[in-house]
Amino acid sequence: MADPSASYLGNTLIEEISPVVMVLRTPLVEDSCRKNGLSFVDALRPFSLFNDIDVPVRTASDQPYRLHKFKLRLHYASEIRQPDLEVSKEHLKKVVTQASDVDTSDLRSDPPQIDSLLKAAESESLSSWFQIFNKELIHIASFSEHEALDHPVACLLVVSSKDEKPINKFVELFDTNQLPSLLNDSVMDPKILKHYLLLHDNQDGTLEKASNILAEMRSTFGSNECRLLTINSAEDGSTDWQDNPWIPHKIDASISQHLGCLLNMDDINEMKNFMQDLASKQIIPHMEQKIRVLNQQVSATRKGFRNQIKNLWWRKGKDDAPETSSGQMYAFNSIESQMRVLGDYAFMLRDYELALSNYRLLSTDYKLDKAWKRYAGVQEMMGLAFFMLDQSKKDVEYCMENALSTYLKLGSSGQQNVTRCGLWWTEILKARDQYKEAAGVYFRISNEGPSLQAAVMLEQASYCYLLSNPPMLRKYGFHLVLAGNRYYISEQRKHAIRAYRSAISVYKGNAWSFINDHVHYHIGKWYSFIEIFDVALQHLLEVVACTHQSVATQELFLRDFLQTVQKLGKAFEVFRMQLPVINIPSLKVLFEDQRTYGSVGAVNIKESLWKCLEEDMIPLLPAARTNWLESQSKLPKKSKDSNICVAGEQIRVEIEFRNPLKIPISVSGASLICQLSAEPESVESEVVNQADNNVDGNSSATVFQNDSELIKLKRNWEQNAGSSFVLSEVDFSLGGSETTVIQFAVTPKVEGILNIVGVRWKLSDSVIGYHSFDSTLLKKKTVKGRRRGGQNAQSPLKFTVIKSLPKLECCIHHLPSKAYAGELHRLVLELKNRSKFPVKNMRMKISDPRFLNAGSLDDMKIEFPICLEKQINSQDSIMQPNVVQGSNGLLFSFPEILGDQLLGDCVIGETTFTWPLWLHTSTTGRISLYMSIYYEMENSSNDIRYRTLRTQYDLEVLPSLDMSVQVAPCPSRLQEFLVRMDVTNRSSSESFLLHQFSSVGYDWEISSLPPDGTTHPFQMLTAGQALSCFFKLKKCNNLETEGMPSSTTLRGSDVRLGPRDSDKALFDISRAPLANFHSYERLDQGKSIQGSSSVDFILISQQKQNASAASDPPRLFSHHSCHHRQESEATICKIVRRDRAVVIDFVDVSYDLIVMKFVSCNIINHNKSIRTTEPASILDNLTKKVKQIIEKGVHHGVAPGDLIVIHGIESGVFVGVEICFPLGVASSPRSSLSGIAEASTNIHISIYSKSSNPQPLQLHVYSPTTTYFSNLSNSYKMALAEQRVLLAREQTDGKGGCSGLDTSKDTNCLNNLRKQTWNPHITSSRSNFPRIHKQENSTT
Amino acid sequence: MASTACFIIVSKNDIPIYEAEVGSAAKKEDAAHQHQFILHAALDIVQDLAWTTSAMFLKAVDRFNDLVVSVYVTAGHTRLMLLHDSHNEDGIKSFFQEVHELYVKILLNPLYLPGSRITSSHFDTKVRALARKYL
Repeated sequence: MADPSASYLGNTLIEEISPVVMVLRTPLVEDSCRKNGLSFVDALRPFSLFNDIDVPVRTASDQPYRLHKFKLRLHYASEIRQPDLEVSKEHLKKVVTQASDVDTSDLRSDPPQIDSLLKAAESESLSSWFQIFNKELIHIASFSEHEALDHPVACLLVVSSKDEKPINKFVELFDTNQLPSLLNDSVMDPKILKHYLLLHDNQDGTLEKASNILAEMRSTFGSNECRLLTINSAEDGSTDWQDNPWIPHKIDASISQHLGCLLNMDDINEMKNFMQDLASKQIIPHMEQKIRVLNQQVSATRKGFRNQIKNLWWRKGKDDAPETSSGQMYAFNSIESQMRVLGDYAFMLRDYELALSNYRLLSTDYKLDKAWKRYAGVQEMMGLAFFMLDQSKKDVEYCMENALSTYLKLGSSGQQNVTRCGLWWTEILKARDQYKEAAGVYFRISNEGPSLQAAVMLEQASYCYLLSNPPMLRKYGFHLVLAGNRYYISEQRKHAIRAYRSAISVYKGNAWSFINDHVHYHIGKWYSFIEIFDVALQHLLEVVACTHQSVATQELFLRDFLQTVQKLGKAFEVFRMQLPVINIPSLKVLFEDQRTYGSVGAVNIKESLWKCLEEDMIPLLPAARTNWLESQSKLPKKSKDSNICVAGEQIRVEIEFRNPLKIPISVSGASLICQLSAEPESVESEVVNQADNNVDGNSSATVFQNDSELIKLKRNWEQNAGSSFVLSEVDFSLGGSETTVIQFAVTPKVEGILNIVGVRWKLSDSVIGYHSFDSTLLKKKTVKGRRRGGQNAQSPLKFTVIKSLPKLECCIHHLPSKAYAGELHRLVLELKNRSKFPVKNMRMKISDPRFLNAGSLDDMKIEFPICLEKQINSQDSIMQPNVVQGSNGLLFSFPEILGDQLLGDCVIGETTFTWPLWLHTSTTGRISLYMSIYYEMENSSNDIRYRTLRTQYDLEVLPSLDMSVQVAPCPSRLQEFLVRMDVTNRSSSESFLLHQFSSVGYDWEISSLPPDGTTHPFQMLTAGQALSCFFKLKKCNNLETEGMPSSTTLRGSDVRLGPRDSDKALFDISRAPLANFHSYERLDQGKSIQGSSSVDFILISQQKQNASAASDPPRLFSHHSCHHRQESEATICKIVRRDRAVVIDFVDVSYDLIVMKFVSCNIINHNKSIRTTEPASILDNLTKKVKQIIEKGVHHGVAPGDLIVIHGIESGVFVGVEICFPLGVASSPRSSLSGIAEASTNIHISIYSKSSNPQPLQLHVYSPTTTYFSNLSNSYKMALAEQRVLLAREQTDGKGGCSGLDTSKDTNCLNNLRKQTWNPHITSSRSNFPRIHKQENSTT
Repeated sequence: MASTACFIIVSKNDIPIYEAEVGSAAKKEDAAHQHQFILHAALDIVQDLAWTTSAMFLKAVDRFNDLVVSVYVTAGHTRLMLLHDSHNEDGIKSFFQEVHELYVKILLNPLYLPGSRITSSHFDTKVRALARKYL
């Protein structure tokens, strides 16, 4: 380690712990000195430090040594007392404020970087005012009575030569009344070295008088103690000092201009000599002598073993002495005081060994006496002595720690000493490179004392952390922040900012969010206090968008930010402001080239869906080119690599804004920033490239880059005024943590190239935020393909504006957003062309014709429900639109000529063109309807020859009526069927009125059951209600309808539902739109089977109207149920027909014969084939069975009339039989025959197509019973033209009278029987029959 | 339970990945940043101390007035730091050990990216329960 006395601390100790000279002077002395702007002491001060004297010193030891550097401290008598705390505080404040003016001049510059700080710290150029401050702090603690360091060693009495009776003055000056309390309170020896000085002002007269006085003095006080000093020798008072010796000692540098102006070189030399003589010839020898004397005394009383024992013994007796804060008073002549003086004198003369030995002795004494303050003072001096002796660290630390903690224990009375002691200690540690420990000590003493002092201490601590190895940057930052806080409390804002600014470099870019917020917020706030608003805002911007803070804090931050902006007084512009946050990847550009959109929903639909829809409507692009050469030249380059938009039409940009805060914010005047240049693209791209280069070059300096981009955006924005495009402005507010999508619009007015550069908005009407659209981010998205029309890899924000084109707008009137299933609506499509140019070739395509259908103009003429009603003169002569069934929907071409003018002329300007559409909501759920209207331009000189208008509508369809229909063959009639319709109201609250039930088909006729016209007296169906109705369906064999396709014109028959007297008109199902919808419904519900025998049904109902909605037109519903067929398509229909009911009275007769008819009917609709039907063995086997059954019944003696009815229905087809047997006649096989049916067997009949042949049947009845024919069967052969014979057997369920038997068993029997009766070799023929039948058809 | 305690997990890149005020004292508005400051500054001490011992629990490494910082350094140099005002060293040690276990479980989650913020609410409740138990 280096020589301790050479260190900073060593120097400081030599300067600060040095003999004090008390100066007593007359007012005239002071007056003379004032002429120089200096007090007497100040004038002498520069010369009280001797750097190059060489004084031999001999203290207690006999070895003399030499002092090379010495200092005297000159103080007026009035200053020799403990300084007033308030005054000294003011003084400290002045020091700090001054430093702040010097140090914080560069507040506007960027915060220092860590590297530069480290360098600065190493070169120790940091804050030299700390040393001044520390010295001032040490001075505060001076002149304490508990130590002898500041006791005046000598007294300098100064009298001016102008004074009258100078000798008397000298005596008066040393008047005890005015002397400091130290001398009067007998704390120190009043016998003090006195030196008498006569001051002569050369301006006042010649030296003669002074010399006389001097002589007189010498005779009075002794020759050695008297001196004459002449000053103010300079003539003109304009002596200009090159390096003024007084300036470093003056704090107020401002008035330093003419310090010492009346002093010339001689004066100065004289002053120098005087001081040197005073030190070397008077004071040092005096101290030497005193040391020797005291040392002898101390040795006599305290040194040696005997004295020590005595001392201990004697001290113990004093244990019960009263304890005061400063211990007992020790008179100047007490041994303790003398030892202290001895120690201090030795220290001042740098005999540290001697000092240390005395201090040691003293410390034990004081400790025993519990004189803690004195003890601490001694410990402090011991520590310093150890340091100066360069002894072990441990001793130093032990002593200093002792001193510090003892001072701390004393409380407020020790406060200044704590600071001084701590400062000594830190200097010791710093001198030994123990910066970390030094910082700890600084921190400890910062807790004492006022906040300003604490702030300086903490800042010094922070620099210690910075200087420690390795640098402890986080501690550095933390302590700087603490210091800054204290500075702020003590109203040193510039210092506070300086501290925080330095701390920023530590915290920059780390993730400790609360720390960052705190630092930036406070810096920002303080900058705004000192009215540097722009920098303040920079910092406040950092915290404004903090998401992690509490609501209250966020509010505070935002409020302060906005207040600062207001104070700034002008618009504050921020690039990439984080409030609100813009989600750039969410950016969506909506523009219309040849594709235009009629509704918002349509924009979001995938392009592919539209493409698919428009496939066969749009002319293929390649078709327009004749060859590849031409195509190259025709397509201009610009249209290839940028989007095309049309002048006068909006380009919309959707961006997502997110509020990162939990408090609402309001944004106003948000709009896009655009650039529209009429020049070709080359210039534009050049500019962009240039900008890109700039950005690349300055990628490191982000601030600059941001600035330049901000300027660029601003310039663009300013160019907007009155320029060639119109921007929309959006005002919106965002709630806490809310995210909204905002749509901006720009409308170019002239042709050119439009570039959307960025977005600009105003936060809370004061802050203007800018954000540019980074094209790289967007490109990434384009690659992902989520953007619409993403086939071009160019920037989606660049547009080629072409001259304006006609644009159709459409809207659909009366479109409900909610509908019930089956509802039928007439909608009106309204088209508008705002431009002056006509359009032609309009076509429309609808995605799902099942739901939406184009009507004809005639539909508009009559009011809605009535137009559907049956009219007497209903002819199909109405002009049908040209409807073509496309692959994905319906292509519909509007007629070119409408009435007496061209369609293109109708759709122009303000006039609107309407066309009816029909909506039928056939399924429940959400329905999306897509519609695309194609049109061509009249003047197709442009790139765009045609445009499409795309609209999309969403519809929610609620359940209403649920209809199901079952068809079963009528058991009693051939060619007749029973229809059962089940209707359920599935809606939640609505009631429906059933209106009409119609069958569709060219050869079907429906009638109600019973056949008296109307069926249901109650036609209303409330919510949840179900209803079944029965109808009779008859097949009419009218041949003229044969072969007619079942597409557009539907023949059908209707049944009116509801009360009999209802006079409501029936709806015509055979006309559009019902017929159209029905055909789509048929398509939807299944494949239409070629053939005649399926039947469709339509149920038409109306919503029951509430009283309130009576004015609305009734809502009409149609429900379609298609492809119903009777159970089986048999070749032969059979029925056992009885002419009348027969009642046989068995009282009179024993048996009877009932005659019935068995009718066979050939229903095969085939003219050419002639069938030979063989109703052979009609009841052959059956008869036996019936016999059996009846035998059983009789045996068990069951009373006739007990009936069991089994009635089975399976999947809409009658498969069961109705068996009526008496109960309990199950099992016995033997019985007498009660009745038998007979028939002639093996009759060969030929039945031609569509003819029937009745055969008589006979039944013999022997006893009262009900007979049941369960299994009439017949076999028949088919004779075809090709002589192919097919044998088939059919079973028929016939019903005559009924005889009851056990049900289940006999059903089984029946089944067995049926199987037995089948001929094995034709069992499978029945199932194969339809197939064979078909073959047969094909062959014929 | 300590009246003031702030628990924080600092990743090896000195980024706080989990923060919890677990003290029973009423929350003060300015406490959050103060605690962060103290803990952040203590990292300097931890940096020195961590390599002087093989133990993971470094005990009290730093203090600020009456607040003490105890630190536990995992093998991956993730630091679990606790700012507290009580002097229950055993409890703190157990607390750290159990939280370390929880942290390892978090690390085992394949969806957790080491060094990123721990957002698991389960982890949070567990840590708070442990704090109630031991501190």
